[in-house]
Amino acid sequence: MSILAYNGAAVIAMKGKECVAIAADRRFGIQAQTVNTDFQKIFEMGPRVYIGLPGLATDVQTVAQRLQFKLNLYELRENRRIKPKTFMSMVSNLLYERRFGPYFVEPVIAGLDPKTNEPFVASMDLIGCPMVTNDFVVSGTCSEQMYGMCESLWEPDMEPDDLFETISQALLNALDRDAVSGWGAVVYVIEKDKVTRKELKTRMD
Amino acid sequence: MATMTSGFSSMYSSDFARPDWLTAEHETGTTICAIEFDGGVVIGADSRTTTGAYIANRVTDKLTKVTDYIYCCRSGSAADTQAIADIVNYHLNFYKMEHGEEPLVKMAGHVFKDMCYNYRDSLTAGILVAGWDKREGGQVYNIPLGGMITRSPFSIGGSGSTYLYGYVDSNYRPNMSKEECLKFIANAVSLAINRDGSSGGIVRLATITKDGVERFTLTGDQIPKFYEDS
Repeated sequence: MSILAYNGAAVIAMKGKECVAIAADRRFGIQAQTVNTDFQKIFEMGPRVYIGLPGLATDVQTVAQRLQFKLNLYELRENRRIKPKTFMSMVSNLLYERRFGPYFVEPVIAGLDPKTNEPFVASMDLIGCPMVTNDFVVSGTCSEQMYGMCESLWEPDMEPDDLFETISQALLNALDRDAVSGWGAVVYVIEKDKVTRKELKTRMD
Repeated sequence: MATMTSGFSSMYSSDFARPDWLTAEHETGTTICAIEFDGGVVIGADSRTTTGAYIANRVTDKLTKVTDYIYCCRSGSAADTQAIADIVNYHLNFYKMEHGEEPLVKMAGHVFKDMCYNYRDSLTAGILVAGWDKREGGQVYNIPLGGMITRSPFSIGGSGSTYLYGYVDSNYRPNMSKEECLKFIANAVSLAINRDGSSGGIVRLATITKDGVERFTLTGDQIPKFYEDS
């Protein structure tokens, strides 16, 4: 089995009208066995910058911790919050430093610019190749299924409530066709004045 | 990994660029369960077929008829178990025509066993044979991977069964009624679905008695619930 499919995961991020949403499943499993159903894969890296980390569970936690460390130093030096685009470059650099022995995570970044509140989504591969899109990004063991769902359901300039529904349906139906992701899901909707975190009721199989 | 692919396909592209779900065999990862009671048997299974990690069928029927009074529960390779069940169905039909009476469950079990044992190197099949006949009543026979056959009052199989040994050993009581057996199996399959990635979907149940076969399906909220973190 591929190392990226050892623990199983699914993450989506979508752009809306002056908002972004990021969602992930909650399963922590070891190949076919499910060990836990409350594993965190989305991390807050600033009040309006979130990163979703699907892939090998140990690297999910290590990369999140290392990024938090680098981010803390950045904020101390610069005395301001980081922009999502700059954060993307920070992640890319961290991953490429391990070009020939990489972290087995393929991150997804979602956020709003701290000054202009412009929505931003991006994803990258395990060695740090960044990809910025204007609609949505997906990553995980059921990425093909998520691409299909997102292509069908996404439309531009969705309000936060609509965006929540769309990203939830896209994630849930993709999860139901993957044996190693699922067992719960969480969605963050990020707007300029608030962030809402919702847990979805999913099939637990 | 993100790669820049050029227009032509190189002769090596088929080796590493093909996703798992195009090349992997269909497996019924599975949880299957069968139990004898006075008057017949109750059998149950989940409904997931996977190709690698992709769920190829989420409403699979793994409870397959081999005669009017004998069913088998299939786990392992979907292709292998379907082929074996078809061949056994043929043999038992032939027997019925020759002898003018229903074959015994033991016979069905042994036909399965012969195939699973003699072709053991080429097959991946774990099968539970369960049914009713007028000589011995309800019987359950377990034929795991190597092709041995054992009869026991209850049997479990498939990748999900590993999570059930504790449950069945502590909860099984002899001489349960048909309703208690149905509950027992529904609980067992649900518990395994919760833990095993290769099992999922709906719970299919069936009872086989002298009056024939009755099938049930448990979907969504009908599936028994147990402790969950969230």
